[in-house]
Amino acid sequence: MSTLIKQAPVAASSQRLVAILAAATFGIALVFISGFASPETLHNAAHDWRHSHNFPCH
Amino acid sequence: MIMRVLKAALVAGFLAACVAATLQTFLTSPLILEAETFEKSAGPQAQATGYGGLVQLAHVHSAQLHSAQLHLAHGQEAHADAEEGGWEPGEGFPRIAFTALATLVSGVGYAAILAALLLASGREFNPQTALRWAIGGFVAVNLAPAVGLPPELPGMGGAHLAERQIWWVCTALGTGLGLYLVTNVRHHAAIAIGLLAIVFPHIIGAPHAAAAASDVPAVLAAQFAARSLAVAFAFWATLGLSLGWYWVRQEDRTTSGLRSQALPVSGERKAV
Repeated sequence: MSTLIKQAPVAASSQRLVAILAAATFGIALVFISGFASPETLHNAAHDWRHSHNFPCH
Repeated sequence: MIMRVLKAALVAGFLAACVAATLQTFLTSPLILEAETFEKSAGPQAQATGYGGLVQLAHVHSAQLHSAQLHLAHGQEAHADAEEGGWEPGEGFPRIAFTALATLVSGVGYAAILAALLLASGREFNPQTALRWAIGGFVAVNLAPAVGLPPELPGMGGAHLAERQIWWVCTALGTGLGLYLVTNVRHHAAIAIGLLAIVFPHIIGAPHAAAAASDVPAVLAAQFAARSLAVAFAFWATLGLSLGWYWVRQEDRTTSGLRSQALPVSGERKAV
């Protein structure tokens, strides 16, 4: 029982670290695609959003 | 844990995008369309100023007529590449739909980043904290960069795009870091470094074109800048509140089902 209690926070904290890194990578990728990526198709599709949300555009 | 973070980010991003896309359709998109009529009716001279004012500078030296023509041609070409080249959504509904889609992608992205930061900070994850951090996100990502690079309508181009993007990212990171140091670390040195991180990008100054003129009326531009920040605030507030709400909602479900899986992780219960 005591080992279980000791191991639980360790597993939880490593799970937490993985979740933090995964969410941060995922989030940065999405913001980059919608706000910064330069391919024309992406730029044109997101054009009005980029202007509205003050991403440097053009 | 990953699934819980992603689910919360999806829900928060979706709700924030619903609010922002609706507001944009009525507040900012009409101004963009109006500005585009000036952009398109204006001669190539005004269009090309968006690319660093090459043409205008060349016109000042009227003796260098030949070089001006060269620049003119170049300006038109660059403009055609950026605007007319390639696929773009059709006017009307497709355009509104793609703008909403881009809003959704950014919304989920920002929500995921916000969730990661909140988890990494070890603060309690609830609607109140998430709202506070989201307002911090608004300040870092919208308000602070807007001080140097105000929201621009089409046809109001400034300095080189890459330079502005770099300044934008540095300002957002600096402001975010500064806000964290000032509000969370609360040590004298940390507050000093934090304030410096917030102010420093503005001391360097945002990149601006030497001769950025535009045919877009000033009233339109001012209205757009104000509305854009207002919509951004609504976007972030919805994002924070719904992120915290859905996170807690998932926790409640887990605790009612199997208590042992929802053991509070050390540090999670710290006060803000």
